Amino acid sequence: MTDSALKASIFQRLHPRAYLERFVAEDIRPDGRPFDAWRDVSVNVGSISTANGSALVRLGETTIVCGVKAEIAEPELDTPEDGFLVPNIDLPALCSPKFKPGPPSDEAQVLSDRLNEVLASIIPLKSLVIHSSKAVWVLYVDATCINYDGNVFDAALIAMVAALRNTLLPKATYNIETGLTSCSRTVTTPLQILKTPVCMSFGVFDATLLADPTAFEEPLLDTTISIVVDEKGDLVSVVQLGPGVDVSGGGDTLSTCISAAKSRRVLLEGQIP
Amino acid sequence: MALDRRRINGPEDSFPPVFDSDVPHWSPADPRKGRSPSEIRPIFLQPGLISQANGSAYIETAKTKIACAVYGPRQSKNTAYSEMGRLNVEVKFTPFSCARRRAPMRDAEDRSIAVAIHQALVSSVRLDLLPKSTIDIFITIIESDGLDGCVASGSVAASTALADAGIELFGLVTSCAASVVGTETWLDPTEEEARLSNGTLVLACMPALKKITSVWQTGEMKVAEAMGCMDACQEKCTEIHSVVAQALLESAKT
Repeated sequence: MTDSALKASIFQRLHPRAYLERFVAEDIRPDGRPFDAWRDVSVNVGSISTANGSALVRLGETTIVCGVKAEIAEPELDTPEDGFLVPNIDLPALCSPKFKPGPPSDEAQVLSDRLNEVLASIIPLKSLVIHSSKAVWVLYVDATCINYDGNVFDAALIAMVAALRNTLLPKATYNIETGLTSCSRTVTTPLQILKTPVCMSFGVFDATLLADPTAFEEPLLDTTISIVVDEKGDLVSVVQLGPGVDVSGGGDTLSTCISAAKSRRVLLEGQIP
Repeated sequence: MALDRRRINGPEDSFPPVFDSDVPHWSPADPRKGRSPSEIRPIFLQPGLISQANGSAYIETAKTKIACAVYGPRQSKNTAYSEMGRLNVEVKFTPFSCARRRAPMRDAEDRSIAVAIHQALVSSVRLDLLPKSTIDIFITIIESDGLDGCVASGSVAASTALADAGIELFGLVTSCAASVVGTETWLDPTEEEARLSNGTLVLACMPALKKITSVWQTGEMKVAEAMGCMDACQEKCTEIHSVVAQALLESAKT
């Protein structure tokens, strides 16, 4: 490392806010992106043979693997035909120095809960029935973060949706006499998926709107905004944490974000298998 | 079992699907499928994929996929003063890594793998240079195809990650597993092959110094067979060493 690069990285560690302020004053971000630019997305599906469906998503340096495991359970008494969709995200100590080994951190719990809310409407739970009030499918959708470089929610949602779209369930038959369910090794069916929600997140730093914040930018943000849009351009979920400000260029923050998210959603269409 | 409120929970009980037809089984005296007895699965090794870590490596041997990150050396917390540094190894399986789903609770299996990998590595690291410090090695098994393969590949990935982090080592540790199946010795067994075998041995060594760091043998094996396994593993470890060195060299160039 050259002397000046070393000085810059020490400055970044000691005075992160001043470091980012100087970049913003020059109309650029530390990784060389303009304020409204997104990092590249790559999605790779079906590489994990032990899962019924899987996806590996990279959003810049942020990396998420997601696997779907299908199991069979008895349905709840009041909903005899509804299956279960159980999404969880794990942020292990491996992915960032922020996390410690052990039970899920607060951040992981919040992310799992938000993912659960967004995914709740994408599969009709009735389509997971094997035999009414006896056997239904349980889809465990587990995502693990391998590299935490910011905007994990967006990447995790893409990974979970892509893994579900990649999932094949074996054809299952319930035997009323024995009370057992048996599955076919050869016949499989894909899931019935109603929508493809994609999340786009923004952050506000000193009245500047930054799209797709990195792990360095995230702790410095005053406000974070997440917009989930489905394939028709309809809003699925909008979350704003922190005050809204008048961003440079006029208009209120939220509607600027929503229109940016909608135009980004169209561009992403071809990239999610 | 108490409900874990920190996760999204499914139904109380669920079971993996039962299939109506079984996959054909291996019978004794059948030759090995897909490769010769002394052949190992091809290794893909990539150091430095985890940008947040001080050092990292990703290893893939056929179906086995393991990511490893090294954090440190950093200050030991909540421990008494120690002249020597501490090496801490944590292994985690993803819930979808095995044929049966692993509920996200710590079970005995990842502990025993962590101990085996710790043993393989600990004598290669110059812990005497790092008083009051801890090196954390975190390993996530994304997909597993045989526990012995996980121990061997995990050790190779961890040693690569330590080198990638710039931590002083006596030498790179490489590791290989071997199983005795019938009368033959099969190197780098898959999960199915390990199940058929009488016994399995995992050897870890520093090929550059011609020193063994750990031998872990389970099951039944004649002394001569165990010696044969160790010789075969050691030979493969030398080959793996050049794969690791090449991968580190290429990542250092970029």
